[in-house]
Amino acid sequence: MRFPLSISSLLTSSLLLSTASASSDYHERLNLRPLPLSNLLASFNFRSNTSLADFESQNFRLFPRSLGQILQYAGTRELHLRFTLGRWDAESWGARPWDGTREGGTGVELWAWLDAETDEEADAKWLTLTNALSGLFCASLNFIDETRTIRPVVSFQAEGDHPNTTLANAKLLHGVLPHEVVCTENLTPFLKLLPCKGKAGIGSLLDGHKLFDASFQSMAIDVRPVCPPGGECLLEVEQTIDMVLDISRSKRPRDNLIPRPIQGHELVCDTSKSYHSDSVCFPVDHLQSQEWTLEQVFGKSIKGACPLTEPGVPPVCVEVPHSRSIFASEGSTEIKSRDSASRCYDVAPEGDFNLVLTQLDASSGDKELVEPEQPLLYADRSFTGYGQEHGGVQAILTNPGDEEVEFVYMESLPWFMRVYLHTLSTRISAASSIPTTSAETSAEIIKEIYYRPALDRERGTQLELLLRIPPKSTVFLTYDFEKSILRYTEYPPDANRGFDVAAAVITTLSPRKMNIRTTSLLLYLPTPDFSMPYNVIIFTSTAIALSFGGLYNILVRQIVGADEGFESPVKSKLKRFLAIIPRRLAG
Amino acid sequence: MAPPPSGPTQKDTASSAAASESPAPATSAIKAPPPETPTAICRRSYIVLSFWLLVVFLGIPFWWKTTTIYRADLPVDRMLEWADGKACRPAIPIQIAVHADSLQEEEANHLVRLAQHAIDDLNDFSGHHLRLQLAPRQDRPREGEHDPKSALSIHLKPGDATTAALDPYRAALDITYPLNSVPPLHSASSMLTTYIATELRSTFAEEQAIVSYLLSASPSSPTSKPAGLSPAVVEALEKRATRALRYAPTYHLTFSLFTDGPTPTTWDIDTAINEYMKPLLDVLGPIHNFTIDTQVQLYATPGVQSQTLTMDDLASFINAAEWPLSPSIGGAPTINFLTFIGNQTIGFPDSEGQTSQSWMIPQWGTVYLLSQPDTNNHVPKDALRQPMLTFGGHLLTLLGTPQSGSLPLRLSSLSRIRSADLLLRASDTLGSLARLSRSLSSIAIPRNVADGVAKSLQHLEEACASLGGSEALYHARIAEEEAERAFFEKSMVGQLYFPDEHKIAVYLPLLGPVTVPLVMGAIKEIKRLLQARKQRAQEAKEKKSQ
Repeated sequence: MRFPLSISSLLTSSLLLSTASASSDYHERLNLRPLPLSNLLASFNFRSNTSLADFESQNFRLFPRSLGQILQYAGTRELHLRFTLGRWDAESWGARPWDGTREGGTGVELWAWLDAETDEEADAKWLTLTNALSGLFCASLNFIDETRTIRPVVSFQAEGDHPNTTLANAKLLHGVLPHEVVCTENLTPFLKLLPCKGKAGIGSLLDGHKLFDASFQSMAIDVRPVCPPGGECLLEVEQTIDMVLDISRSKRPRDNLIPRPIQGHELVCDTSKSYHSDSVCFPVDHLQSQEWTLEQVFGKSIKGACPLTEPGVPPVCVEVPHSRSIFASEGSTEIKSRDSASRCYDVAPEGDFNLVLTQLDASSGDKELVEPEQPLLYADRSFTGYGQEHGGVQAILTNPGDEEVEFVYMESLPWFMRVYLHTLSTRISAASSIPTTSAETSAEIIKEIYYRPALDRERGTQLELLLRIPPKSTVFLTYDFEKSILRYTEYPPDANRGFDVAAAVITTLSPRKMNIRTTSLLLYLPTPDFSMPYNVIIFTSTAIALSFGGLYNILVRQIVGADEGFESPVKSKLKRFLAIIPRRLAG
Repeated sequence: MAPPPSGPTQKDTASSAAASESPAPATSAIKAPPPETPTAICRRSYIVLSFWLLVVFLGIPFWWKTTTIYRADLPVDRMLEWADGKACRPAIPIQIAVHADSLQEEEANHLVRLAQHAIDDLNDFSGHHLRLQLAPRQDRPREGEHDPKSALSIHLKPGDATTAALDPYRAALDITYPLNSVPPLHSASSMLTTYIATELRSTFAEEQAIVSYLLSASPSSPTSKPAGLSPAVVEALEKRATRALRYAPTYHLTFSLFTDGPTPTTWDIDTAINEYMKPLLDVLGPIHNFTIDTQVQLYATPGVQSQTLTMDDLASFINAAEWPLSPSIGGAPTINFLTFIGNQTIGFPDSEGQTSQSWMIPQWGTVYLLSQPDTNNHVPKDALRQPMLTFGGHLLTLLGTPQSGSLPLRLSSLSRIRSADLLLRASDTLGSLARLSRSLSSIAIPRNVADGVAKSLQHLEEACASLGGSEALYHARIAEEEAERAFFEKSMVGQLYFPDEHKIAVYLPLLGPVTVPLVMGAIKEIKRLLQARKQRAQEAKEKKSQ
């Protein structure tokens, strides 16, 4: 309720709407899903809204002011920012959370729709946006320059509800920094954007020590306008954190982080073995999910519910079969879902909230975790070839399902990786048979190519391919490239480490929309000796000086016969000295 | 491989000596070389000379041209003149219109003349002087109309006693006088004129003190001590100067509601600003623009937890690490107005029991402690009235407005003070730039710096000429902006990182080995020429003696 004494009709209407939406301006939810091999996926989701009228008049309440000002200043319609570290192991963990739409490639990834008539205007606003976000999130986002920026054509679609006219005038820009190491300094500003600041609600679980110790973690910020049917448009900021924690690693005490062999009495034995007895134990180690508590895994417990959330919407959900028993702290209520695969907890407004997941009796035969969903595609990308001049890229895309998958494969490559597009080829192999190469299949697999070649030092390569993979088959996508030699000052301080190549983004179009990102690659370029310029200066200087001295002396000197002229004083002295020695020796 | 430079030099000396003198007796075993022909000697001289000509007329200019840095011509002397206060003696004339419609024209003229004399006698500071002027008579005095040229208008009205009152809504001074106090046409002074003079002087006393302080504080002033100001006044003025923000055409105001716990989460800030702040901001409109944003922050722990805040606590109350009070992006400086929901009080050590709710942080903003029951989730407009009024008062102080007088008068004197201040600042910056360019000969000066300086100087002159008028602030603002931009030009700094020592270290391997043969050759050639001349002279002498 913002305008109880509103004068104009405009204010009155916004009053009514804000009253209507006041109760649901902020949502938060934590989803815990145990994964195979004693891993735990924790998905945090925070969503806050503000009405567009409030946003435009700069009255910030739940929407963070610092971010709001940046968006206004840079004319941003929709913003997506990702900080990612680690690799999602799709083979064992299955499909990605949020269908991969809330994660980015390793490092920092940013894409936004900017209000701009021309490309130059868009570039200027993009510069403002990256610089401002760089300051806000303590990340090197300001290094996203033209060479790392592309304008995707088919890969990204606006998520928000935009009027057609705004989107027509908005330009989509996408930039990625694969080299950026995401760390605590990025989490702190991220938490500051939350209305409850990580002091209450599920945000109180977030701690840099645990988050950046995870096998995979991704922080996402999405800002988009949302127009509920029949209501006024809202601006929604959604903050998401996904992390995959290794439970046994997390359970290690904080003051004793060195892994040690498990004590005999703590060993988990596989009792199904025939030789199992009191004295013989076959350790199951990772094969079985373990018991854990929220406090063990995150290092702290939830400090009461965030009072801004809508009462009645449970903030914590656990995806385990109902057969496994979970104990929750007092004051919370358990709500079990109908599909017997998950249950949610309503957290009391005061006091700590903790969850205890008990170990399942191995003999009972119950399922200990919900089977992970099979992803639509497995994607893998690597470098091929050898030497410092040429190289190749091979992407292995596998469709494990029974449906044909259509998707867009997008690469944003640095300019110093000169792609030979004519070498782009695909070969397909059915799941079990030997791969067969055929030009015809290649044409069938790649439906469309959008290619924007690189310009040296100005922009990178943008490659978007529309592909289709038949069921139960694997496609090998390969192309060659040439490594260019950089200028002396273009090498980073750690040039011998190599150059990061951003992850390829795969967006499936059918049977359903989801995103997959490959890992980023490390490209090794020919690296010079960095004392070279000084060596060159000194070498050429010496050569010039020598030739000059010779030339000058020949020109200036009088040339006489070999028996003419004088002996040099040094030579005559030396001769005299040499003449003395034999005499001395004889004497 | 060429021989080391010392080898040929010695040999050369020997050979040239052989050419001119008799062969040395020690090396009689070796045949003496045939004497050099004069053409060969001449050719060698030409070779040495041509090498030197090449070096001097091609090499050195080329090297000079390629390694020199661009230094645009700056009017350094002019800039230093401005900085030393020689180019412009800041004098603020203040026009005061006298409306004396009840008096005869002659009488009124005489009265004004006498009052002007009285003011001039009282005034001891040349930088600020009041000029009385009889306003043209109006048949129908229109209320509210104000001549833009005059800073104040005096309305003389007959009455029972001599009284003076400042109009709170207009820049006007109403003076009533008893009929008998009007000076007769030939009198030299009167009670009324002295009264007018003292009234005006007290009205403008603060402004005059500030201007005099500004002039004395700037390094350009000839005297370091402000004339006629007591130490207490100087201290107060210093305090004012440190509190006020630097001048900017636009300020950004951030109103924040901070609370320690989860409540309250909403406030009626929009209506409160419209009701209590907007009128003030509208009045300030001609001098500054304002942009506003508001925010609510929950779970914001202050830097000090104690119930009663002491003076020392106030400095650390703002939890800069956790509170999102980052300045807004864009060029405008941010002024923070912070309402903290909490029941803390500020205690003064010397006065028992007395408490206060708010304090000002110089050049930053204001904090207001608002106590409210925990259960209340909403801050109503009425509760925000007192904070808003406090913020309004503090805003005027933060902008550097004088304390005394009516609001319109305070604002008009603010604009005069600001223009004098900006004028001095701009001159000072130009002086620093001039000194910098003089002391660092290796610093590059790009063309746009020179352009900025030229523009700044031009606007400074215009501002100086129109000081006291409405144009002055505009010109002084541009002059200051341009001067700052010229001073903080980015490309000027870069050159400093490539010092001369570095260049020499890089070029020495080339220049060293090349210069040694050249110099030695030249020395030898000069020696030979001198010797030849001596010989010729000797020969001539011998010839003469024969």
